[in-house]
Amino acid sequence: MADVEMTAASDADWVRVTSDDGYSFLVRRKVANASETMRDMLDTAGNYAEAIARVCPVQQRGVIVEKLLEYMSFKAHYADAGPRDEIPVHEFMDRIPPEIVLELLLAADYQNM
Amino acid sequence: MPTLSGGLSDWRCMQKPPRRHGPDVSIEKTWADLANNIREIQNHNAPNLSFEENHRFAYNMVLHKQGEMLYKGVKQLVSENLDHLASTQVVPAFPSGASDETVQSQEAEMLLKALRNIWDDHTSNMVRLGQILKYMDRVYAKSADVPEIWDVGLNLFLKHIIRSPIKEHLVTAILTQIQFERDGYGVNRSAIKGCVDVFLTLEDTNGLTVYKRDLEPALLRESQTFYESEGVKLLQSCDAPEYLRRVESRFESEDSRTHHYLSHNTAPALRQILQEHLLTSHLNAVISMETSGLDAMIDLNKTNDMARLYHLFITVPTGLMCLKRALKDSVRRRGDAINQASSGIEGGDGDGQLTGPKSRPAASLGAQTLTLALKWVQEVLDLKDLFDKIWKEAFSSDRELESNLNEAFETFINLNDRSSEFISLFIDDNLKRGLRGKTDTEVDVVLDKTITVFRYITEKDVFERYYKGHLAKRLLLGRSVSDDAERGMLAKLKVECGYQFTQKLEGMFHDMKISEDTMKAYRTHLSQTVAPTIDISVIVMTSTFWPMAHPTSTCTLPLDMIKTSKSFEQFYLSRHSGRRLTWQPSLGNADVRVTFKTKKHDLNVATFALVILLLFEDLGADEFMTYEEIKQATSIADSELQRHLQSLACAKFKILKKHPAGREVDPSDSFSFNADFSSSLQKIKISTISSKVESGEERKETKDRIDEERRHQTEACIVRIMKDRKHMTHNDLINEVTRQLATRFQPNPLNIKKRIEGLIEREYLERCDDRKSYNYMVIRILLVWTQLTDMTRHELRTQTCTIISHTVFYTCILMILQRSNIDIFPDSYFSAGSSLYLTRSRHYLTSSSPR
Repeated sequence: MADVEMTAASDADWVRVTSDDGYSFLVRRKVANASETMRDMLDTAGNYAEAIARVCPVQQRGVIVEKLLEYMSFKAHYADAGPRDEIPVHEFMDRIPPEIVLELLLAADYQNM
Repeated sequence: MPTLSGGLSDWRCMQKPPRRHGPDVSIEKTWADLANNIREIQNHNAPNLSFEENHRFAYNMVLHKQGEMLYKGVKQLVSENLDHLASTQVVPAFPSGASDETVQSQEAEMLLKALRNIWDDHTSNMVRLGQILKYMDRVYAKSADVPEIWDVGLNLFLKHIIRSPIKEHLVTAILTQIQFERDGYGVNRSAIKGCVDVFLTLEDTNGLTVYKRDLEPALLRESQTFYESEGVKLLQSCDAPEYLRRVESRFESEDSRTHHYLSHNTAPALRQILQEHLLTSHLNAVISMETSGLDAMIDLNKTNDMARLYHLFITVPTGLMCLKRALKDSVRRRGDAINQASSGIEGGDGDGQLTGPKSRPAASLGAQTLTLALKWVQEVLDLKDLFDKIWKEAFSSDRELESNLNEAFETFINLNDRSSEFISLFIDDNLKRGLRGKTDTEVDVVLDKTITVFRYITEKDVFERYYKGHLAKRLLLGRSVSDDAERGMLAKLKVECGYQFTQKLEGMFHDMKISEDTMKAYRTHLSQTVAPTIDISVIVMTSTFWPMAHPTSTCTLPLDMIKTSKSFEQFYLSRHSGRRLTWQPSLGNADVRVTFKTKKHDLNVATFALVILLLFEDLGADEFMTYEEIKQATSIADSELQRHLQSLACAKFKILKKHPAGREVDPSDSFSFNADFSSSLQKIKISTISSKVESGEERKETKDRIDEERRHQTEACIVRIMKDRKHMTHNDLINEVTRQLATRFQPNPLNIKKRIEGLIEREYLERCDDRKSYNYMVIRILLVWTQLTDMTRHELRTQTCTIISHTVFYTCILMILQRSNIDIFPDSYFSAGSSLYLTRSRHYLTSSSPR
């Protein structure tokens, strides 16, 4: 059983991330792994209920979750970038609305990313 | 988003954050829920629990400054769980104390498996706890400076499980299993490995693993006792090959043990124990086992066993030494046996003459020495082959062993003082034999091998002397296989010993060739004048090249022969003025047609034999000649005369009749011509009964001549060195001379010293004031040319040597003059003969003061 789960848990899997106001996002496991908390949550060795269901409940508003996932995608995308490659961090920062910054900060801390 | 999370500590003072499980839910309640869940996790119920919920419990507790409570609480829970596991799973698996080994082994396996089980259980729990408590690790553990929860888990395991009496039981169980396996039974290696891995993972506060602290010392202790008795036991019950096989398999099994389930760090220590108790302490006993030790292995050609022996022995420092000694002894013993066999008959050789007719006749004695020589060399070659093969196949061509073997061979070969003669005889035989069956390449292979034995001889000059003698015989009697083979051999010797060594030998070949040309010219000359009645073929030998300097045995030649030889002499001297020819009839042979009653035969006889035969030419059929008459008529020396009469009257073809008949020739005998002789062959070769290969007296003479030559060489060498260095200390000089002469013979320092004294006396060297070193004295030569030429000419005329080319001598002087007027002492360029003139000629040279 564990083996099946392990082989199934490849980077290309899809996992579901939900917000507490009912939004639901489908992302690649590679993206979800950008958050250490989510990675542990989905870890098949720990094998908690979330890992079996492949659902990560995030207790934040949908708009926060969306921004978290956007950053995680961004991080996953540039994870393999070499030291010479330019990473457009400033462009990304421009896309964060100031009114959610605090909430986003707390969520990011919790998600350990 | 690392830049953002860095501002964590600031947010509370800025704005009230939105919270779900804030202070409105009590910490106690949170902990109670979390503790409950942790117990569930320990009961393998994680799949029913929400990660998010538990993670948030821990998050909130840390956030509300309750990290310490959480940390301690979790620790408490883990401890309780470990105690529970120990009492329910490990303690029941303790050994029952049964005496049966199989049961013991099974119980040990159970215990090890139980430990592994709770370890696996514990670690997977700790992984899960680590995941939900990660926020605590990140935030609380760091700031409170306490270990992360995973490490806490390891420490707790060490404290609650690896403790008395569990620890002792575990160590005993592992040792029991290893012992069980050493005794040849199968054990569950993975069970042991499981437990050993745990031991390797756990570290105490000093950073020492449990394996290193508790298991390894006990293991090594146990192994030491085991192998100590094992070594003694094996030695008593096995022969050497079996012992080595067992030891090798012990090494392999211990290796695989450390590789498969113990730490590789233990391997060296374990190996050391094995080496010490199975090898080092029993090396000599094994290698010298009476019927199965190294000697027996060599006898039975057990290459594999020897290879094993070699590979095991070189692992310990004393092993190679021991092997070397045993090998050397073996070679020496075999070599001594060969020497013994060859000297067995030698003893009878000396007094063979005295013990009368019953002893072997001289001819067969010679033949025996030859067989002996051939046998000796062949045996040495076989022995060398044997050890070469062993060295290559069993000893991995070890360089150290090679030199060791060489040393051993050298010792025993040089112990036989006739080795040089034997080897030369062997080569002689092969170069002659070739005609009878062996192909050139076969002969070449044999000679190549012989060279390897030749290399071991320290007294190469002795060999040279013998070789020269044998070569001379081959050349004069035309008995060589082929010129190519001879020259090939010469080239080999040249490679071994250098140009000087073969120079005279090459001179002999040169003489042969020159003689051929001379003869051609002579024949042409004859065709233009009146030819003498006898056809003659002459070989002119340079006296210094050929070893025929013994007092020449002469005889009175019949008139016809004298005429013929005079004719050649005139011809030769007319072409080369100032030379002197001495005839050596003892080396010649003749073809003569003899008319018997039935028919005529062509006989090939030695020149002396011909002279004897010619005495009977004019005699009637029944007339006799006594021994004394023959002797007077021919004036041949007794020993030679007896020899030739014997070959004419007592050998296979009886040309003469001896009265009374018998095998030995006595001075009281008389002889008559055997006209009734008949044979189916038209051409008959009367081979001269050979004198002994070398009688005791001859050998002594050979030795004296060798000693003399060595004196010359030593002096020449000293002068060469001093000329080069000008100044040298005594010890340096002795060392240098010894080194340079070593290729030819082993000089005795005492003799070198004597030579130095001699040279000081003759003013070549002077002793320095410090009494420890010498200076070279430069001699200026002022030459009164006319005086020199006159006097040397006189000098040369009076010499008894065969042919002396005084132009050679002039050339020497001129060369010396050209070479900056220094040193007229024998150089290696000059043969011993001409060097004598040079030293004498110093009287004709005015030497001015040195320097």
